[in-house]
Amino acid sequence: MTIKSALAKATARVSHFTLQKIFHRGGTALPGKLAIKVDPNVLDQVQTDFDLVIVTGTNGKTLTTALITRVLTAGGYAVLTNPSGSNMVQGITGTLLTTKVAPSKNGRKPVAVLEVDEANVQRIAAALKPRYFVLTNIFRDQLDRYGEIYTTYDKIVAGIKEAPAAKVLTNADSPIFARGDFPNERIYYGFNHVAADEFQDLKAPTNTDGILSPTDNAVLHYSYITYANLGRYFSVSDGFKRPEPKYAVTALDELRPQFSVFHIEQTPFRIEIGGLYNIYNALAAYALGREFAVPDSAIKQAFEQNEQVFGRQESIRVGDKVVTLLLIKNPVGTNSVIDMMATDPEPFSLVTLLNANYADGIDTSWIWDAEFEKLHETNLAWIATGGERYRDITVRLKMANYDLAGTYPNPQAIAEAIQDAPTQKVYLAATYTAMLQIREAFKKQGYLKAD
Amino acid sequence: MADYQLTLAHLYGDLMNTYGDYGNIIALRYYARQIGVTIEDQLVSLGDDFDPKAYDFVLFGGGQDYEETVVAADLQDKAAGLKNYIEADGPLLAVCGGFQLLGHYMEMADGSRVEGIGVMDHYTSNMTAAEVATKKGERLTGDIEIKNNETGEVYHGFENHQGRTFLGKGEKALGTVTKGQGNNGMDQSEGVIYHNVFGSYFHGPIFTRNGNLAKRVLATALSRKYPDVDWSAKLAAVPTESF
Repeated sequence: MTIKSALAKATARVSHFTLQKIFHRGGTALPGKLAIKVDPNVLDQVQTDFDLVIVTGTNGKTLTTALITRVLTAGGYAVLTNPSGSNMVQGITGTLLTTKVAPSKNGRKPVAVLEVDEANVQRIAAALKPRYFVLTNIFRDQLDRYGEIYTTYDKIVAGIKEAPAAKVLTNADSPIFARGDFPNERIYYGFNHVAADEFQDLKAPTNTDGILSPTDNAVLHYSYITYANLGRYFSVSDGFKRPEPKYAVTALDELRPQFSVFHIEQTPFRIEIGGLYNIYNALAAYALGREFAVPDSAIKQAFEQNEQVFGRQESIRVGDKVVTLLLIKNPVGTNSVIDMMATDPEPFSLVTLLNANYADGIDTSWIWDAEFEKLHETNLAWIATGGERYRDITVRLKMANYDLAGTYPNPQAIAEAIQDAPTQKVYLAATYTAMLQIREAFKKQGYLKAD
Repeated sequence: MADYQLTLAHLYGDLMNTYGDYGNIIALRYYARQIGVTIEDQLVSLGDDFDPKAYDFVLFGGGQDYEETVVAADLQDKAAGLKNYIEADGPLLAVCGGFQLLGHYMEMADGSRVEGIGVMDHYTSNMTAAEVATKKGERLTGDIEIKNNETGEVYHGFENHQGRTFLGKGEKALGTVTKGQGNNGMDQSEGVIYHNVFGSYFHGPIFTRNGNLAKRVLATALSRKYPDVDWSAKLAAVPTESF
């Protein structure tokens, strides 16, 4: 380290200390800014100190990053990661400079695993030159906030091009990831859980996007579909087909709302969270772990520690009921939540809360692209609605042929209302600000601890 | 009750489906089943023929720019069939990109021009001309409310579009804007009515939030196929969802 870089690093540390102790705020952006001001080459120093992994995609970044962190830690690496949502170059540099990392137990270089929003990939990759990109998936979000899927992917590709030596660990089952003209080596992960004699000739359901072949824009066919536009795809107009994954899920053994048991290659794994999409996240983490020579036994141990990593699916007791809180925000996410409920062997109740504030997406049209009709094929016993846009979600479910048990615009009324549900288990699916409101109500009523 | 059935063509339903457009089919089915009518929907997509005699209703939704460009090229092969269908008073709902592509052309956000099929006389500019400088570059986004000039019906929705559409010969607006921006943010028009084509920028989707319009269009489609039944009267007995 040059004296200047060391000084820059020290500057970042001191300023981090000052911010945390004196101003009591997290403050990772400012320290990075000061350090870069002292020495722009401090970014090179970061590369010398760490192997960098960038995790990006529209869904599953946070869990994938958390799982990778665990897998690498179990493999003996010292691992550093950025807090979810802290995406800017300065913030990340600040984190990398101010955190003291002990040497890796396995004697290798420590690894920094960075969760990066699609829009920030290029800036971060240009500054920090990662060794790996891990791409989760790209699905349509509400388009009032985000770009189209191809625009989103172009942003990621621009980032990949900034680090041509980096390997790209990517989802083989997602057709959009077969696009992009970049020299980097691609390593694929995907699902090979269906035997060849059970292959079908399927098309994605009408309401799926991202289904055009990268070669000639023909609509792709599938031998099988895992969910949304993911699966073993092929084109009938030319020979284009899904690339063969280097790392593959080979069997789905047991799927439940609270856990999944599956095989990757010959090894059985269990994760304490439901949903096929989470198996993809685990598979991505597995693949990255293997690239860093972490053995299956360590990965298994990392997956099966049941700590806060799966915190997004939270269950709380409300009176006689056990309420599972689920965040919904777009069609693919909502369909995944519905698929997850479909794996519940017990009868359950559901309250769906819709808001349309900025953080939720101000256009409610997406609820019509989510397949609430599929709930008819589950053990759903009781269903109610609420939220500021209760009219929209009520009409949506009415038109999907459900008899609603009630509609509760006031979040304070929900705890009492669900006591009438015929099942002990209640799923509460809410958009972001609706979730904040119901959590606030539960806190006031004493069902959730105040922060 | 006699068995009544409508066949619906979902034009490029696998590519033009961005803003809940499928919800329009869900809403039509919801009203139809209450009066003993079933609706079968068929996907008509890339490379498929469009037979103007095969359908009682057509839905043509909106898409992302990329898909829209692919669709625009394929649509030229369906232009004659669609023109026949429209001129024979076939009912059609066109939303956003679908609405734009039935007209002459549309200018995309990157300045490129995509040719429509010109079976209707409107065109869509990306607002580059000097005479529309007042609204230049601003995306037209937000809640919108319009009033139909003939029936007085009020429709609610959400709009989010960059293109500015200007209506042409023989075209009437679906309604006059009372809140929001409409086709171009300038002339207070929103959407289009031409024969039995209803075009709009409304997300919502439009039939889910505006049961009055859904029932009106459903009655039109049913009366065309089964003229001996008073469909408007039957539908009048069904409660209307409106919000």
